[in-house]
Amino acid sequence: MKPYPILLSSLLALLLLLSGVSLLFGAEQISIDNLVATLWQGGDLDFIVNQYRLPRLLIAVLVGIGLAVSGLLTQAVIRNPLASPDLMGISGGAGFAACLLLLVWPQIGSVWLPLAALVGGFSAAAIIWLLNRWHQPSPARLALVGIAISAFFTSCIDFLLVLNPVEVNSAMVWLTGSLWGRNWDYIWPLLPWLLILVPFSLYLAWSLDLLALGDESANALGVNTERLQISALFTAVALASVSVAVCGTIAFVGLLAPHAARLLVGFRHQLLVPVTALIGALLVLSADTLARNLAPPMELPAGVLTATLGAPYFIFLLSRYKGW
Amino acid sequence: MSTATVRIINSRYWASGTVMALLLMAAFVFSLISQSQFGLSFDDLWLTLSAPDPASLNQQVILSLRLPRSLVACLIGVNLGIAGALMQGLTRNPLASPTLFAINSGAACLMALSSIGLGLFSDLPIELITFIGAFIGGSLVLWLGGGLSSQLNPLRLILAGIAINALFSSFTRAVLIIADDKAYSLLHWLSGSLSEIDWASWSQLWPVSLVAMVLALTTCRGLNLASLGDQSAASLGLNVLNLRLRVCCAILVLTAISVTLAGPIVFVGLIAPHICRRLFNHNHFLVVPLSGLIGACIVSVADLLSRFVVPQAETPVGIITALIGTPIFIYLALKEPAS
Repeated sequence: MKPYPILLSSLLALLLLLSGVSLLFGAEQISIDNLVATLWQGGDLDFIVNQYRLPRLLIAVLVGIGLAVSGLLTQAVIRNPLASPDLMGISGGAGFAACLLLLVWPQIGSVWLPLAALVGGFSAAAIIWLLNRWHQPSPARLALVGIAISAFFTSCIDFLLVLNPVEVNSAMVWLTGSLWGRNWDYIWPLLPWLLILVPFSLYLAWSLDLLALGDESANALGVNTERLQISALFTAVALASVSVAVCGTIAFVGLLAPHAARLLVGFRHQLLVPVTALIGALLVLSADTLARNLAPPMELPAGVLTATLGAPYFIFLLSRYKGW
Repeated sequence: MSTATVRIINSRYWASGTVMALLLMAAFVFSLISQSQFGLSFDDLWLTLSAPDPASLNQQVILSLRLPRSLVACLIGVNLGIAGALMQGLTRNPLASPTLFAINSGAACLMALSSIGLGLFSDLPIELITFIGAFIGGSLVLWLGGGLSSQLNPLRLILAGIAINALFSSFTRAVLIIADDKAYSLLHWLSGSLSEIDWASWSQLWPVSLVAMVLALTTCRGLNLASLGDQSAASLGLNVLNLRLRVCCAILVLTAISVTLAGPIVFVGLIAPHICRRLFNHNHFLVVPLSGLIGACIVSVADLLSRFVVPQAETPVGIITALIGTPIFIYLALKEPAS
C-alpha cells in the first residue's frame, strides 16, 4: 500500500490545481494576476469570478463529496459492488421530489429543496427496503430493481417537464444533472448537511470494516450490526438526497469514486472515506469544468460527461463481477 | 402450420384472443373520438362510415387526424410486441426487450444527432439512420453483455444494456442542449409521442412493418427449436446462425421504423410477450403474432389514456407506458428465475 498521507495530500493538491483551472477558464478567459486580484478585492470581474465560478466550484466539490461518500456507505452496507445511490433509485426519488417542489411552487426558497429531496430519497429507499424484505433478491437482481425504480422516477420527471415547459438548461438539471445557474443561494442549504453527515460517516467507518467480515463475526466482535447498517444507510440516503437537491442526479459518481478509492488504498474504511470524498469532488469538478469549456458559451450538462466515463466502467465491473 | 400447432389452440385460447381483440377494437374506436376540441361523438363516427360528407369538419378531423394516429398506434404496438417476443425467444431471456437492449435509445440517439445535422448523418434517409443506431445499440449490448454464448447470464446482459442505455441517453440529452431551438419538440419526441402522426407516417410505416412481420413469422419454427438450447437445436437440423441473423434483422427493422415515427415507446416489447405467455403458451407460433396483438392493445390504450391525463396538453404516450410498465418490470425481475 502506498504511504497514505502522501496520497491524500497529492489528491488535495490536484483538487486545488483543478479549482484554479476551473476559475481561470470558461466563456471568458481570465489571467492569473486578474484572478488573484479579483478574489481579494473584487473589481470588474467580480461577477464572473466571485458570483458565478466560485460558488459553482464549491457546489461541485460539495456535491461530489456527498455523492461519493453516499456510494461508499451503500456499497459497504449492502456488500454489493454494483450498489450506488443512483443505481438504487434514491437519487431518482430525491430528484423527482425536488423538481416537483420547484415546479409546483417556484417562489419557494432553496432552503426547502434539500428537505423535499430527503422525503423523495427516503421514499425510494423505503420501496427498495420493502422489496428486499419480501424477496431477498441477489445483488445483481437488486441492482436491476433499483434501476427500474430510478427509470420510473425519471419518467415522472419527464412527465413534469412536458407538462410545465421550462428553459431547456434547467430541464437538464433534473434530467441529467448539471450545475447550470447554481450560485451562492444553493450553497447555504447544502453546507450544514454535509458538515454533519460527512464526519458522521468517518465515525461509522471504524465499524464498517468489521461489517465486511459478515454479520455474525461483526456481532461477536461487539458491533451492533443492525444499528450500524441502519445508521449507515440513513446517512447514505441523506447525503445522496441533499446533493441531488442542488444539481440533479449526476450519474455514476457514487459508483465510480468508491471503486477508484479502493484501487488506491485498499479496503479499510477509515482510509477510504477521505479518499473517496476527494475523488468524488475531483470527478464532479472536472466534469463541470469540461462541460463549461468544451463549446463555450454553450454548456453541456455535467451528468453527460460523468455518464460517458461511468457507463463503460460499470460494464467493466460487470465483466469482472463473479457473484451472479 | 403443423397439426401439433393446430391442436394446442383450444377454447380457452380462443376466449383470451377474443377478449384481446375486443379490447383493441374498443380502444381504437374510443381513440378516434375521445377528448376532441371539436366535440366528436359516435354519431360523427357512424356518419363518416355511412354517409361520407367531405364538407363536414368533424368527419375531416376523424379521417385526416384521428384515423391515421390510431392506425399507427396499433401498428407500432404490433411491431414492438413482436420485436419483444423475438428478442425474448432469441436470447432465452425473459427480461429482454428493445428498451433494455438499448436498441430504442441507440436509434433515438442517432436520430437526434442527425436532427442537428451532424456530419454525414444529415444526408442519409431517416429510416436508415435509426436502423444504424438500433444496430449499434443492440450489438454493443450483446457484445459487452457476453454475447449469445450458451452459459450466458441473463442479468449480466440486462445490466450491460442499462449501462449502454445510460450512455446513449446522456448523449441524446447533450444534443438537446445544442439544438436549443428545437429542444422541446425533441424532448417530446424522446419520451415517445404520437401527436405528429399523419397519413404520410402511415404509408411510411406499413410496407416496412409488413415485410418485417412476415420475416418474423418465418422464424417461429426455428425459435421453438432454439428454446431447447443451441446444441439440441443444431442436432435437430437447425441452422442457428441463419436463424439469429433473420431474427436480428426483423427485430432491428421493427424497432427502428417505430422509433423513427413515434420515438422510443418503452416497456411495450417487454410486457406484451409476458402477458401472451401467461394467457396462451410458450409456442412461438402463438407467442409471436399474439404478442403483436397485445402490444397493439397496450399502445392503443396508453394513447387513449395519454389524452385523459391532462386534458388539452398532450402527455407523450411513452411516459404512460413507462409508468405502467415499471411496476410490472420489477415484478418480473423479482419473480423470474435467474438462469
